[in-house]
Amino acid sequence: MLTILGIVIGITAIMMVMSLGKGAQDLILNQIQSIGSKTIAVVPGRHPTGISDSLSTFTDSIKNKDVEDLKKKSNVPHLTRIMPIVFGPVVATKGNKINQTTVFGVNNFFAEIYNIAPSEGRLFTDEEVASKSLVVIIGSKVREELFEPGETILGQKIRVKNHTLRIVGVLPNKGQFSFISFDNALIMPYTTAQQYIFGIKYFNRLVIETDTEANIAATVADIEATLRNNHNITDPDKDDFFVETQAQAMEMVSTITNALTLFLAAVAAISLVVGGVGIMNIMLVSVTERTREIGLRKAVGATNRSILTQFLLESVMLTSIGGVVGIVLGTGLSFVISLILSKFVGLDWAFLFPIMAVFLGLGVSGAVGLVFGIYPARQAARKSPMEALRYE
Amino acid sequence: MSRYYVNLQNLCFMALIEIKKLGKIYGNGESETRALSDINLAIERGDFAAVMGPSGSGKSTLLHILGFLDDYSSGQYLFDSKEVGKYLPEEVAKLRNQKFGFVFQAFNLLPRTSVLENVKMPLVYSDISEKNWDNLARQAIEAVGLTHRALHEPSQLSGGEKQRAAIARALVNNPEVIFADEPTGNLDSKSGKAVMDIIWQLNTQQKKTVILITHETYTAEHARRIIRLLDGEVESDQLVSNRRGEGDFEK
Repeated sequence: MLTILGIVIGITAIMMVMSLGKGAQDLILNQIQSIGSKTIAVVPGRHPTGISDSLSTFTDSIKNKDVEDLKKKSNVPHLTRIMPIVFGPVVATKGNKINQTTVFGVNNFFAEIYNIAPSEGRLFTDEEVASKSLVVIIGSKVREELFEPGETILGQKIRVKNHTLRIVGVLPNKGQFSFISFDNALIMPYTTAQQYIFGIKYFNRLVIETDTEANIAATVADIEATLRNNHNITDPDKDDFFVETQAQAMEMVSTITNALTLFLAAVAAISLVVGGVGIMNIMLVSVTERTREIGLRKAVGATNRSILTQFLLESVMLTSIGGVVGIVLGTGLSFVISLILSKFVGLDWAFLFPIMAVFLGLGVSGAVGLVFGIYPARQAARKSPMEALRYE
Repeated sequence: MSRYYVNLQNLCFMALIEIKKLGKIYGNGESETRALSDINLAIERGDFAAVMGPSGSGKSTLLHILGFLDDYSSGQYLFDSKEVGKYLPEEVAKLRNQKFGFVFQAFNLLPRTSVLENVKMPLVYSDISEKNWDNLARQAIEAVGLTHRALHEPSQLSGGEKQRAAIARALVNNPEVIFADEPTGNLDSKSGKAVMDIIWQLNTQQKKTVILITHETYTAEHARRIIRLLDGEVESDQLVSNRRGEGDFEK
């Protein structure tokens, strides 16, 4: 049984890598998807294409006029929501308490787009956005840092960059493992953030939602056309903005996690080679020990081929048993780890039974038996019946 | 048709086994050893030949060559009128399976495997369908009187019982020729007697051709003829004048 340990460990490792890799991938993909598969992000800037270009990265390229033009049905017919975002690090103070945090200047599509609602208080209104009201919604961690537990928050004031902001809402705690976390954030109207906090006229990001997923490609093209027209760009290589879709982001994440999983599985496969050599060794010993049996089988009519098949089958059986044990062990361990991650670490982690990995594990372990069994089996098949019978 | 052909051969006194100027050399160059030289021999269907000779006389080598377990270096070996060297390896394996049964001095039963399964082993390599294996194996076991031991493992059997199990294995494919290499060599006189009785019956009643190697004259006298080898050559080839029968075995 020790001889198949190498195979067991190898298959166990592969099973775990594949199961946990898939789990991690799904976790990230779910979080991206939770932002909405119909959303498109427009980011200002350009990858520098040469030395002369490297100083002008166009991070201020997206302005209010772009937002107004994108809103027009004649320009982007499938657009349903558009949310400009400005963000940046700030220090918030309350009395003598200080908190290093991030300001997100958004509009009131924020709750729907990021699927988050204040646990206390409210979102801001369109009027507050239009009138650059000094109102703020604070994240759960900001509340912890600046206020006492149980204190009434709504209506209280905090100071940021010499401006006093009135708290109108508090966001619930989402945990540190969320893909996008607003736990340590100040959410305010983007107009307020632009004017009073950062003193800028541009946006760091636009989030756009389309009516259906099918219209994403068309909408991307419409956005690009509108922005190029506004920015007087004729050559797409000179774009001073990027348009990113969820599909692209998900594809990229999938590619990265798949590559990682594959790489780890390849590392795990090394132990299969070691296990295979162990199997070859034990099969060679077995062939020598059973020399008389081989001779006898040949004497009663076994052909070289039937001896070869017999020993190959034995080594394939041996490694397949190792494979099955590895699959059971690997699945069990993955399940336990998934349980720990979801119950004790607090991740939204789902255990995945990787059917593909089961077939892969069975196939690979069988193949290891076949490959490493060929040499011993050939040794067995080559024995002359008379020599074999004479062996003591 | 084939039956008629075989009868015709018998009428013409075509021997089942015929060897001419057969030689066997082990090794090569300086270390070469001549095990057999210029052996001429013919064994007819239904014959019972005992091969005797001191150790090193080449009797085991001869048996191995006759049983297709070893190659010969020179001369001719005709089995069923066909030159053995012309058979393909697969045909050789098939002939061993269908026409020959081997009984060895060391029994060569598979350990930790029941008598029944041991006896079935040749059937695995035959064309006989698997549903008949059990029945055929049980018949062969009954023929050697081991029915009560069918499900025992070799370690639970006495030497005589082991050899009877081995004979059952040799019989299970209903072979034409039984090759027995010192079958009583490891047995006490009582067990040896039982084994020789069975072999004698196989020849006289079931008309099997038997080629027996032994160094015991008493055992050899169960045969119809005794071939004596010395230094790889046939020293004498005589009919047994006072052939022993059932119950005549003694040591």
